[in-house]
Amino acid sequence: MDLATLTSQLRALGEEALPKIAAAPDLAALAELDVAYLGRKGGALSGLMRGIGQLPADDRPRVGVAVNEVREAVEGALASARQRTAQAALAARLAAEAVDVTTPGRPIARGSLHPISETISRIAEIFGQFGFVTYEGPEVESDATNFQMLNIPPDHPARDLWDTMYVDIDGGLLRTHTSPGQIRVMHAERPPIRALLPGRCFRYEAVDASHASEFFQVEGLMVDEGTNLADLRGLLDEFAHAMFGAGRATRFRPGYYPFTEPSVAFDVGCLVCGGMGCPACGRTGWMTILGAGMVHPVVLQHGGIDPERYQGFAFGMGVERIAMLRHGIGDVRIFLDNDLRLLEQFR
Amino acid sequence: MRVPLGWLRDYVDLDLSPDALAERLTLLGFEVKGLERWGSEWRNVVVGELLTVEKHPRADRLSLTTVDVGAGEPLQIVCGATNIAPGQRVPVALPGALLPGNRAIERTEKMGVVSNGMLCSGDELRLSVDGEGILILPLGTPLGTALADLYGDWVLDVDVKPNRGDALCLVGLAREVAAATGKVARFPEILLREDGPPIGEVLAVGVEDPELCHRFVGRRVNGVRVGPSPGQVQRRLLAAGTRPVSNVVDATNYAMLELGKPTHAFDAGAVARDARGRAALVVRTARPGERLETLDHVERVLSPETLVIADENGPLAIAGVMGGAASEVGESTADVIIESAVFDPVSVRRTAFRYALRSEASLRFEKGQESRLARIGADRVAELIAAWAGGRIASGRIDTAPDEPVPARVGYRPARVDRLLGTSLGPKAQAALLARVGIATEPAPDGSGVVIAAGATPRSVAVAPGEARGAVVPTWRRDLLIEADIAEEVVRLAGYEAVVGKTPDTAMPHVRPNPLELRDALRRALVGAGLTEVVTPALVPASAAAALGWPVLAAGGVPGEAAVDGPLVTVTNPLSERHAVLRRGLVGSLLDVLALNERHGRGDVAIFEVGKGYAQAPDGAPAEWWRLAFLVTGSAGATAWNLPARQYDLDDAKGIVELVARVLALPDPAYAPHLDGAPLHPGRAARAVAPGALAGLVGELHPSVLAAWDLRAERVLVAELAISGLSAGQLVPVRVAPVGRFQPLERDLALVVPEPLAAAYLAATLRGAGGDTLRQVALFDIYRGAPLAAGEKSLAWRVVFAADERALTDEEVDADVARLVSAVASAHGARLRT
Ligand SMILES: [Zn+2]
Repeated sequence: MDLATLTSQLRALGEEALPKIAAAPDLAALAELDVAYLGRKGGALSGLMRGIGQLPADDRPRVGVAVNEVREAVEGALASARQRTAQAALAARLAAEAVDVTTPGRPIARGSLHPISETISRIAEIFGQFGFVTYEGPEVESDATNFQMLNIPPDHPARDLWDTMYVDIDGGLLRTHTSPGQIRVMHAERPPIRALLPGRCFRYEAVDASHASEFFQVEGLMVDEGTNLADLRGLLDEFAHAMFGAGRATRFRPGYYPFTEPSVAFDVGCLVCGGMGCPACGRTGWMTILGAGMVHPVVLQHGGIDPERYQGFAFGMGVERIAMLRHGIGDVRIFLDNDLRLLEQFR
Repeated sequence: MRVPLGWLRDYVDLDLSPDALAERLTLLGFEVKGLERWGSEWRNVVVGELLTVEKHPRADRLSLTTVDVGAGEPLQIVCGATNIAPGQRVPVALPGALLPGNRAIERTEKMGVVSNGMLCSGDELRLSVDGEGILILPLGTPLGTALADLYGDWVLDVDVKPNRGDALCLVGLAREVAAATGKVARFPEILLREDGPPIGEVLAVGVEDPELCHRFVGRRVNGVRVGPSPGQVQRRLLAAGTRPVSNVVDATNYAMLELGKPTHAFDAGAVARDARGRAALVVRTARPGERLETLDHVERVLSPETLVIADENGPLAIAGVMGGAASEVGESTADVIIESAVFDPVSVRRTAFRYALRSEASLRFEKGQESRLARIGADRVAELIAAWAGGRIASGRIDTAPDEPVPARVGYRPARVDRLLGTSLGPKAQAALLARVGIATEPAPDGSGVVIAAGATPRSVAVAPGEARGAVVPTWRRDLLIEADIAEEVVRLAGYEAVVGKTPDTAMPHVRPNPLELRDALRRALVGAGLTEVVTPALVPASAAAALGWPVLAAGGVPGEAAVDGPLVTVTNPLSERHAVLRRGLVGSLLDVLALNERHGRGDVAIFEVGKGYAQAPDGAPAEWWRLAFLVTGSAGATAWNLPARQYDLDDAKGIVELVARVLALPDPAYAPHLDGAPLHPGRAARAVAPGALAGLVGELHPSVLAAWDLRAERVLVAELAISGLSAGQLVPVRVAPVGRFQPLERDLALVVPEPLAAAYLAATLRGAGGDTLRQVALFDIYRGAPLAAGEKSLAWRVVFAADERALTDEEVDADVARLVSAVASAHGARLRT
């Protein structure tokens, strides 16, 4: 073996290996070629290198350079071929894994809050921003707490405003409104008071599209020195805007409750016609959303609060009424029916 | 109250449109709930003149008429009435007309003769109560005029609040209209021709109980001719919603609607006379056993509290509520006694409720009547009777309390009024507003206090000289008693737009725990778990409460819970048997919801409710407590093309119970087989308990319950949980345990045990024997079948050991495991599955 032969064999090896590597179809073929040319035992390059020892010492470095050139060329070709093949394999796998992306996803079950509790939460959240604290009172009350403490003596004609269900407990009745809570809060807290009282109420009232014998109210109470009707108006305006939209028109008009003086009804511009007048608003352009007023001095006294020093206002709203206006519900009976076809729309 | 504007015009000038008037009244506190065009029902009804009236050629009872309706050829019309004659003006319903009650009039053939419409009776038009004859119109009525233009009117439906009995009449509302429009209200001028005998010779009245009858004014009209009222009176009454009866009775109703003063007319011939020949009435309470047949022809046994008008033979009328049949004014009545009295409001209200006879009259008495009206009412009714029924009015009145009270003075501080309203009107503007409803103002006398509360807890405060003013309140305004009443009157008249809203800027209250916090957290967690919240009636049928037989458990330490198995709270006047008692538990209500949704074809239902239970405590006091209940049946979670259906089972239900415990940071609930008589599958029901915090039953409903509720579902899982803190508890902040630095060691143990052994007992033994390095015991597999013997099962547990301060060695964990195995072997006969 002489230098020239070995050199030409090395060149031939390179010329043979590089096209084969370029043509290798996959990683396995490349691995075979790697062993065949570069394998430490039995590889073609190793075989040629065994001939180096037979060369004169002066020639060896030159051959060494040539061997390295061939090795690097083969190794480089193998590496780039591996990268190319891996990319192709990946592309093939991804292509094979394609799915129809237009199908709907796997549904995640979710229930819904009942519109009554959802609406109470919303009301509490709005008034909570003004420092109103939530309290609760019992549903079985007495004539004293449901009426007399609220300036509605026995046999008062205003009792016609509340048809009442009585129970087989002495003096007991099912509260007709959340207003008894006013007295409870006044006994529990000293002014400044800002209280919100949500809860279930009962009336002896035949059920139809707009009347229910069980319904929910939210009562509000604020008492402090100097709390006045303008505070009530300002607060209720904020509430109406938060609940029904910033541009909603509002108005006060006189109302009547024995436990407030003055008493007001609070109207918002009709949510159906916007104020032009339509059947939904009785052609007045207004919808009443709650009753309110300045707490009657007698009620403050029953709450243990000096009416000469303190003033306060109270309001009471029907939760169903608010929910009906907010969600476009036309019939109050749906609330306690619990037809899932309706409830699940609140998801 | 129905207010025909044509009638209201008698008492005040109206130059506003009905719409505008309605809005003014509403903003003044008299909400107009309806605005109705009375007479809009008469379409195509016009005034005609009868030209000829002849016998129908083929029918004796019919007439053949020709009628001029002012345009076109005279019409031939067949008519069955007998009161018609040529020259009369009558209402003619033309073909195409529509009468009240949607009665359509067409051209028809009657016994071979064409009839081009119909002549109308007053009743057919609802213009009078006369259904016999054709309504004969005044002679000068213009031909061809639409009847709707002639007699139509706007009628307002005004909501008069209970404190304004003074405005429950046309005169009272006219005062309010005047206040709103700046006009002057006119009180009807009463002109009496008293040409009868002196009243003292023909009427005597005694009041035994002046507390219940504050004033009685009596008058008498002799020689009346009872018959129909004039047409205009009938039309006004009908438009106001009152049915005309006769001229005498109509006079009392007319005066009541006009003045707000209920009166009663007695047939004097039915009243016993005293020794001097005078009809003698006495006002007294009923005597035991007395009876009265009232005007509605019901014989009533009178209770001793009932105030009656009587003669010496017994009761003639229930005072303020209803007259008696025997003394009713009828066609044969010649002489009439008018009773115009003021009765005690509470007595009338109680009596009206007692006999279920609440009337327009009793409603007005209940609200209180000013004394003056007794006199005015008697005079007005006497005048109207004489005008409409003839007769001679006896001169003078019987009057048991002729002194009439002077206007009351109500002190108020103008600065306080502004302080309450948040306005700055000042004394002058306030006085000007009050003057619009006839309230004069004057300086309050020095030393007089201002009344700030009345009724059961009156309170008067001293004021500085010159600080207060006095409002001179007209006698009819019985609602103005205290300073705040004056403030309301001021702002009502100013218009509430005078109150400019501002955001409250006073001190904020202290922060308080939110009683809804826990319930809201649970609601949100359960919604996230796929359950839908329901809210169901608290009132249920008594039978349902008993039928379900759900044992109500107590969580412990919950307010009201001591009464959970107390007697039901029962409504004594229920609306229906379906809503008769307050429920003690929620499960029955959830079954009702399932039944309703099944009727809508819905089989997959997952619902929960957070609601109250109610019962009577041992001391008879009402008790209320909160509960959480849920019901799941059908497919668990969503189903879709990529999510196969799976049916809810007991493990799902227990998973929900565990979710609840986790949300509230309670210990994991322990389950025990439930053996008591709950309406549950005996092999698929568990008692879930986290001591002191949660207790309840969870299980599959017994098939007999499904049948009782007519449910189609095969398996329904329910639970009701008592949870302490549900009423007003707070979420507890999580206390974080440090994450150990040393790797825990895990071992898996498959333990073969006899089939009946509950997993919970095995777990408890493992935990008990584990020592302080045992951190977790979790069931991960249950296996039955070969090579295990029949009646055996293998429960596979992952047990985890760790220590905070050091790494455990395999040797010590192996020793721990060996201890566990021997513990369960000796406790339960368990062996390791190999
Ligand atoms: Zn509208």
